[in-house]
Amino acid sequence: MQQLAKLFRMVFLVDLIKGLLVTLKYTPQPAFTFQYPAERRPMAPRFRGLLRLQVEPETGAQTCIVCDQCAKVCPDELIFLGGHREPGHKIKVLDFFDFNLSRCSFCGLCSEVCPTKPVKALIMSEDYELGSYERQKQILRVDEMYDGVEIEQYSR
Amino acid sequence: MGLIDHRFEDNFITTNLDKVLSWARQSSLWPMGFGLACCAIEMMATSASRFDIARFGAEVFRASPRQADLMIVAGTVTKKMAPVLRRLYDQMPEPKWVISMGSCSNAGGPFPTYSVLQGVDKVVPVDVYVSGCPPRPEALLYGLLRLQDKIRKESTVFRKERVIMSGQSEPILVEDRG
Repeated sequence: MQQLAKLFRMVFLVDLIKGLLVTLKYTPQPAFTFQYPAERRPMAPRFRGLLRLQVEPETGAQTCIVCDQCAKVCPDELIFLGGHREPGHKIKVLDFFDFNLSRCSFCGLCSEVCPTKPVKALIMSEDYELGSYERQKQILRVDEMYDGVEIEQYSR
Repeated sequence: MGLIDHRFEDNFITTNLDKVLSWARQSSLWPMGFGLACCAIEMMATSASRFDIARFGAEVFRASPRQADLMIVAGTVTKKMAPVLRRLYDQMPEPKWVISMGSCSNAGGPFPTYSVLQGVDKVVPVDVYVSGCPPRPEALLYGLLRLQDKIRKESTVFRKERVIMSGQSEPILVEDRG
């Protein structure tokens, strides 16, 4: 009896049709592929991308108070910053802010510890397209750190 | 192409050999997946249907270095793995490229220890460093597009010899500020 059932399955291609039905079931669905350079996925609200410095949105004034907490908390010691006092200013003026991107593990401790209010000086931005041809370019200086600075792009 | 442009019938296209060859090279990069750690998961995701690296002609992940053009080093390279990596790189036929994916293979990542290679560029010449921990699949695609951009610009016949940075390849964080 079992042999007969097997013969029946073989003659009428039952297994093949079963398999093709699965293919047919998935055929009318729209394409699942996400066309990356053309469209971008919306970012999760807690996504941690490249570390960025923020300025006051209206005035463009510096928000970083050079408290050095981010440099202290960084587990890999990737941040190095410094500033000086000026007579007219209440806060220290930021001179340099070097960030070694090459080792960064995007843990977000530096932005978590940043005390400035209401605008956080250090944020984990939504930029993730990070690539460079040289290792030297992975050290970001202060002028490359500000929020909204364009990242080097490929040409098409 | 200067002198001979538009001198033939409409169906002829004149170009130079460099352009054709680099076009062919950049649009069929066969990667050798060198998945070593968690970055490999993102690399697999990139080759799967959601992100589909096949759109850039790089879908055939080869298990053999003899059939690959591009080595994607994804993950922490330990010092025990480094000679193997170099050997596999040497077995790849020219022309060959290397993408270093993730912080670990870029610079050793959060492991400045005795057992971890501090940057894969100490062993093989790296073309594109993709930062991230791990990089999103989009970031790897971005790195691939950057590499294609580089291939398009480079000369095919007189190819510049790639060298490994010797000595201290770690960039210096604190510059001399006078």
